[in-house]
Amino acid sequence: MADDIRRWSDELARDPSSLVFLQLGEALRRQGQLDIALKIALRGLERHPRHVEAHDLVARIAVDRLDFARAREEWETVLRLVPDHVGAMKGLGYVYFQQGRFDDAEAYLNQAAAGGAGSDVSNALQMVRRSSGIAPPWVVDQAPAPDLQRLFADLLLDDGQTALLLDGSGYVLGGLYLDSMGNDVSQDIGAQLSGISDEVERSMRHLDIGSWRSIIFETHAAVVAMAPTADDSLVVVAASRSTPLGLLRRLLDRCAARAAGWLEGGKRA
Amino acid sequence: MTPFTSILESLSRQRGVRASLVVSENDGLVVDSRLRFGQDGDRVAALAASMYRKARLSARAARLGAVAFLQLDAERGRVCAVGGRSDLVIVVVADPAANVGLIRVELFKALESLE
Repeated sequence: MADDIRRWSDELARDPSSLVFLQLGEALRRQGQLDIALKIALRGLERHPRHVEAHDLVARIAVDRLDFARAREEWETVLRLVPDHVGAMKGLGYVYFQQGRFDDAEAYLNQAAAGGAGSDVSNALQMVRRSSGIAPPWVVDQAPAPDLQRLFADLLLDDGQTALLLDGSGYVLGGLYLDSMGNDVSQDIGAQLSGISDEVERSMRHLDIGSWRSIIFETHAAVVAMAPTADDSLVVVAASRSTPLGLLRRLLDRCAARAAGWLEGGKRA
Repeated sequence: MTPFTSILESLSRQRGVRASLVVSENDGLVVDSRLRFGQDGDRVAALAASMYRKARLSARAARLGAVAFLQLDAERGRVCAVGGRSDLVIVVVADPAANVGLIRVELFKALESLE
C-alpha cells in the first residue's frame, strides 16, 4: 500500500489533472489520514467538478471526519449527476440515520435496495426500522429492539470494556466506544481499525492457513480483539491493558455471537 | 551464526512452532529465520510485517498507543508478532493447537534481548 501511495503521489505530482487522486485519496482515507485525503480529494474535485466519484470520495472522507452535513451535500450532488448512484443512496441513508431522520434514511436505503445494493443495505434497513419503531413483521415477535449503542452492554464486565459492530465499510452498526474523557469516538475508532481486517484478508490469501478467525493486539493503552462476523461485518472489543487476553477472547466470542444473531434478524444471541 | 540465531532457535523449540523470523517492519524483508521445510520465509515475512505495520498505524491513528504484541488466529494456523522501538519485528507462525501464551512470553523475552 505504501508503494502504491508513493506511486500515485508521484503520478499526481507529474500530472495534477490525473484521476489517480481518486485512488490516492481513498488509500489515504483507509489509512486514516483524513486531513491529507480530504486535501487531495478537494484538489481533484476543483479540476473535475462534475466527476461523480470525486464527490463520492469527498463524501466518504467527510463521514469519516463526522462531517455529516458535508457528506450529505456531496452525495446529493452525486445523485443530481447520476440519479441511480447506489453508493450515494446508501451514503445518504447512513447520514440521515446518523441525524435521526429515520424516514429519509429508510427512503434512501429502499432506493438503494431497489437499485441492486447488497445484503448490507437489507441489514441497514432493518436497523433503521427498529430505530424508528417501524419493525418489519419478522422482528415484531422478538424481544424489544435493543438500543443499538447498548447492543453489547450486558456482555461487558466493567466500564473499561467496550465493543463495536462495524459494517464492511468500517461504519458503526452497533455498540459504543468511549474514550477516557467519555467522548463517543466509535466512528473514528471503527474507521481506523477496520483497515486492519482488509490487510488481514489480503494476507490470508497468501499465507495458506485458512480464513482468519480473530486478531488480538496489545497496545500501550489497551488490548483490542477483532473477529469477522456475518455480512462482512467486524466485531471489535477493547479493554484496559490489564485485562487478561484469555478473558478478552471469551468476550470477543460472546460479542461475535451476539452480533451474528442480531445481523441475522434482530435476535438476541 | 547471526545475533538472532539463539533467539530464533529458542522460539522454534516451542511446541507447534512452524517458523520464527526476525523481519524488518519497514520493507518486509527477512533479517534471519528458522523455517520448517516447505515454508516460504520471504512471503511470511512480507505479509507478517505488513499486518503488523497496519495494526500499528491503525492503533496509533485510533489513539490507542503503540502496538506491542499481535496475534492472528486462522483456521489452520496462528501468527504472532512483537515489535519494539526498532524497526525489527519478531514473528512466529504456529499450529492452531500451539500454546500461544507460552509463545507470547518467549516472544517478549526475545524482544528484550534484541533491544
